[in-house]
Formats: sequence, C-alpha cells, structure tokens
Amino acid sequence: MANMKNPYSYIEAEIVDIVDETSNIKTFMLKPREGIGFRAGQFMDVTVPGVGEAPFTPSSDHNVKGRVDFTIMSAGRVTRILHGMKTGDRLGLRGPYGTAYPLDKFKFKEIFIVGGGVGLAPLRALLYALFNQIGDYKKIMVRYGARTSKDLVYKQEIDSWRQKGSKVDVELTVDVGDDIWKGNVGIVTTILKDLKLDMDNAVSVVCGPPIMMKFVTIKLLDMGFADRNIYLSMEKNMSCGIGKCGHCRIGPYYACKDGPVFTYDKIKDLSNIWE
Amino acid sequence: MEKKFYTITKKDFFDLFGRLLANYRVIVPYAKGERLYFDDFCPEREDEIELGGIRQSQPMKSFINPAREALIDARKRDSRPVILAGVKACDLSSLILQDFVFLQGDVEDPFYAEGRRKAVLIGHDCTYARETCFCLAMDGAPYPQKYFDLNLSPAGESFIIEIGTIKGSSIIDNFKMFFKEIDHRQAESRQANRDHVSAEVKAFIDKRGTQNTARIKGAVKNSYNKTELWQDFASTCVECGACNLVCPTCHCFILYDEKQRDFAKRYKAWDACLYKTFARVAGGANPRRHLYERLRNRFEKKFDFFPQVLNYFACTGCGRCIEACPGDIDLREVLKGCVLGKWNKPPHG
Repeated sequence: MANMKNPYSYIEAEIVDIVDETSNIKTFMLKPREGIGFRAGQFMDVTVPGVGEAPFTPSSDHNVKGRVDFTIMSAGRVTRILHGMKTGDRLGLRGPYGTAYPLDKFKFKEIFIVGGGVGLAPLRALLYALFNQIGDYKKIMVRYGARTSKDLVYKQEIDSWRQKGSKVDVELTVDVGDDIWKGNVGIVTTILKDLKLDMDNAVSVVCGPPIMMKFVTIKLLDMGFADRNIYLSMEKNMSCGIGKCGHCRIGPYYACKDGPVFTYDKIKDLSNIWE
Repeated sequence: MEKKFYTITKKDFFDLFGRLLANYRVIVPYAKGERLYFDDFCPEREDEIELGGIRQSQPMKSFINPAREALIDARKRDSRPVILAGVKACDLSSLILQDFVFLQGDVEDPFYAEGRRKAVLIGHDCTYARETCFCLAMDGAPYPQKYFDLNLSPAGESFIIEIGTIKGSSIIDNFKMFFKEIDHRQAESRQANRDHVSAEVKAFIDKRGTQNTARIKGAVKNSYNKTELWQDFASTCVECGACNLVCPTCHCFILYDEKQRDFAKRYKAWDACLYKTFARVAGGANPRRHLYERLRNRFEKKFDFFPQVLNYFACTGCGRCIEACPGDIDLREVLKGCVLGKWNKPPHG
C-alpha cells in the first residue's frame, strides 16, 4: 500500500488541553502533527488508537491554524474511553468531511441560532466564523437550552458573546430549574417567541438532540421561516466519511457527503429523519 | 492479438492455468453436489472443476473487495494478482455499481482500486439455469456482455474464448501456441447455447410471474408507506444478514479498530443493513429500529436509491439471496408484492 493515499488512515494529534464543560461533556483541544484544516460545519473522524473512531464537528475557530477543538459528550464506547484520556495523549484525526455552513449565503442576513445540550459545539465554530466578519451580518441571535444549569456548555464564554455588540443577542434556558439558576425555565422552544425577524432575510441554524430539533423546526416553521432557510445538523451513523460504507444514508443522500447539515426542504419528505 | 475470438481445448486451458500459477493466484469454481464454489486452482483436482454451470455460491466480490481487510498496518497483503475464472454474467454486471461506489465520488477507495485493477476476470456463459435465476428480468443475460477480460463459451471439449480487454488479450499473447482460429460452426453453437439457456431463464421467470425492471420501476417507492405489507415481508426474517453478504451489489462495510500489542490495526469488513445496529448512533437514536424498516431499507437502497443516483436497479437476478435466506424471503415475491400492492403470504414450512 506504499505511495497510495489511504482515506481510512489518520493524522496523529496530541491532546494539549482538556476543559470539563459538564459532568459528561469535555472539550478536547488537539494539536495535529500535520496541517488539517476545516470549515465550520464540516466534521472529522476522531480515532482513539486501537479502540475506534467516531465523527465530531469541531467546535473551534476555523481560522485558527494548527489547533482544533472538539466538545464531546461521553455517550458510547469510543467517547467513554476518550473521556478517560489525559493531556499529552495521542489521538487520530481524518477529514474534514461533509459540507460547511454556507457563510456566503448568510451574508447580510439575520442569523437565528438554536442549540440544545452538546449541540452547541458545531454552532460555536459557526459563531466564531460569524464574529470574524461580524460586519457582514445583520443580526446574530443565539437561543440555547440544556437540561439543567449544570448541563450548559461554554458557560464562561457565552457572556463574552453578549459583549460583541448590539447585533448579538443571546438567551439561555434550562428544562429544570434550581436555586442558582436565575434565567428562563422551560424547553428551548419557550424562548423562541416575541421575535421581530425580517423573515425574507433570516436563516435559522439548529443543532441538538433529534427530539429537540424536531420541535424547534415545527416552531420555526410556525414563526415563518421558509423550509430552505432552516439548517439542521443530522446526526447519522457516519463511518467512512466518504460516501462509501453506506451507514449514514438518508433517502438519496449520504449525511457524510451531502450533509451533515441539510436544509429542511431537502429532507422533510424522508422517513424517520428525527430518529 | 487483433482478433476477438479464439478456441482452446479444455486440456490446454488447464495446462495454461498451471503455468499462470507462477505469477497469479488462480481461482476456479469446483462442483460440490449441486453447488459451485470458488477455490484456488489445484491441478490434482481438475476433475472437480466446473467452469460452466451457473453462478457460484460465493459472490465474485469476495476476491476483489474481501470480506475483511486490514487498512492500517496491513503487513501481509498477498500481492499476486488474481485470475478469477468461470465468473458468470450476474456477478460481472454488478461491477457497474461496485465501481461507482468505490472508484467514483470525491475519493477513490485505494484498496478496492488495487483489487479491481489486478484481477483478471475470465467469464463463462451459463450452461443451464436454476429456478432462482432471473437475470433477464433485471436487464441482464445468462452470458457475459461486459466487464470481462476474457470470456469462455463451451464448444464440446474446447472453449470459444472472447477477448474483452487488453488485459485479457495480453494473457493470450503470452501463450499463442495454445490458441486456434474459431470456425463458423463453433460460432453458431455458441449462439445456440446462449439462446437455449436464455429460454430456460425466461421459462422460470414466466412460470413465477417475476416482475421485470419496467414493472418494478417506482414500485418500492410507491409501497414505502404500506407498513403492513413490509411487516408481512419481514415476518420470517431472522436478521442474519445472509442476503447482504451473498449479494453481488451490496457494498456496505464497517470500519473497526483493534489493539495488537504495540500498534493499532484498522479493518474494513462487509456489513449488513439488516443488523439492528447498522444505522444506530452512540446517543441511541436509530432511524430503523424495527426489522421491517431494515428489510424495507434493503429494497429502497436497491430499487429506489440506486435508480436515482446511478440509473441502475441494484439487482443482477443471481438469486443467491433467495437461496441463502433461512426465512424463505424471496426477493422476487417482495418485488411482486410491491408492484401489485398486496402479498399472498405463502404457508411457511
């Protein structure tokens, strides 16, 4: 196999820092040995050597070279072992795969971002990209919900987003309140109201658990968003990343190649999209 | 060699195989009861070799895209090119799909590309048909028309050999002494055999009322939401995945890693969409939780997805899935059920 580009092989990457976001979510900051870039919305396969790999969308700024962050929930076999790893340990990276958020199409528009739980991770990469060219966008609104206040990710950082100026507007909610939490209590759809949006010039970008995306989409349609202006991250079993292994097919698409972000008009007639 | 047809005696052909062993891994079909199985050419077992007949029990893809292959730290890969002889049309025609998946798109699969490039495919006309054969309904024929490097047709104690590619002709060029000119009579006998076997296949299709591509078009899509129909089709499915593994057009695979002392190894292995975990994600979501959804997915992929993306019905009519299914699920009957919108469940047992 010498001299042959192997799409199933990976580049080594060192864990340079780990941030505990919640009890089961950590952000891993990686330094790849070779240059491996991405555009916000694209994903990579992260390998725990000898254990396996899983697909994640980077949560860091795509303009920062030589570093890539992933915010990962411990959910399966690979991520459980990953959560036990330390700074200095080595992982593998291959990618990037899939399509990026179409920033060109977002220009001069009101961007309405809705996140649920660890689903804020790819949206953070998008926010960095938007903040980098903040002059190009009319408004950037973020609505983010998690189960409890302890389950919110990027808690420190979210405050700094609010200080980006009058164009940026952030609201948070938790499903279940507690003594510390002073904000809204209720699922994320409860903070999607009383909004003055210019629907002809607005797009919504959603990422979160399937059930949350389903109800958020219903709400967004109700608010007047057109099907083609709702961008959804489809969590499918993306394995090879290059449209060959067959696992992530949704109707005529492969999530790894044609997604993982789809506009609602493309997928609304396909079966079981929310599962 | 500019001519397209030659003839060679069976004895000379096996002698040729013996000589090719120096540089190739030669795989031929052996008869075992009513079935044929590919295995390494062994001159001592010449009596058991059956190059004709129908398709073998293993799909040809086993030798181009192995059931399991190491992708990282592939330390011992047999680098000899494979000569695969006696391949039938219903395997060869699947290459349109396998090539599309693995060679086209943004990235080529270099492992498939190497297996495909190195393999010499020697086809053979079918010499009879079995009840499960329905290639003609799927726009195929019981004799190779494409994708062969060389093709054999029976002619008494000789073969008529047709050259399909330069790769095929270069093998002949190296052993010119074995090959003779074809005569008119032999050419006619080749056509007579082809017509005869085609008529056998057609009789099986007609007897069962097997639907052809013109009738199947759109049928799976149109019956997609007939949940009860699919539940009926899947009622005897045991989720073994045999239909996937024996299918010449199934291409799905799984990647998995293994720790081996001081290094990590990655494998690619055939996967089956009938398995419950096929589309499941780590968070637990599964778009095809129910078995009937997974069986339906198999048909959707073959008779709706591939017609959309490749303008191709992803079935060659080889009938292996029908024989392999322990639940007696018959692809022809499922398609008929989709076309007619109803299914008369046969008494099981």
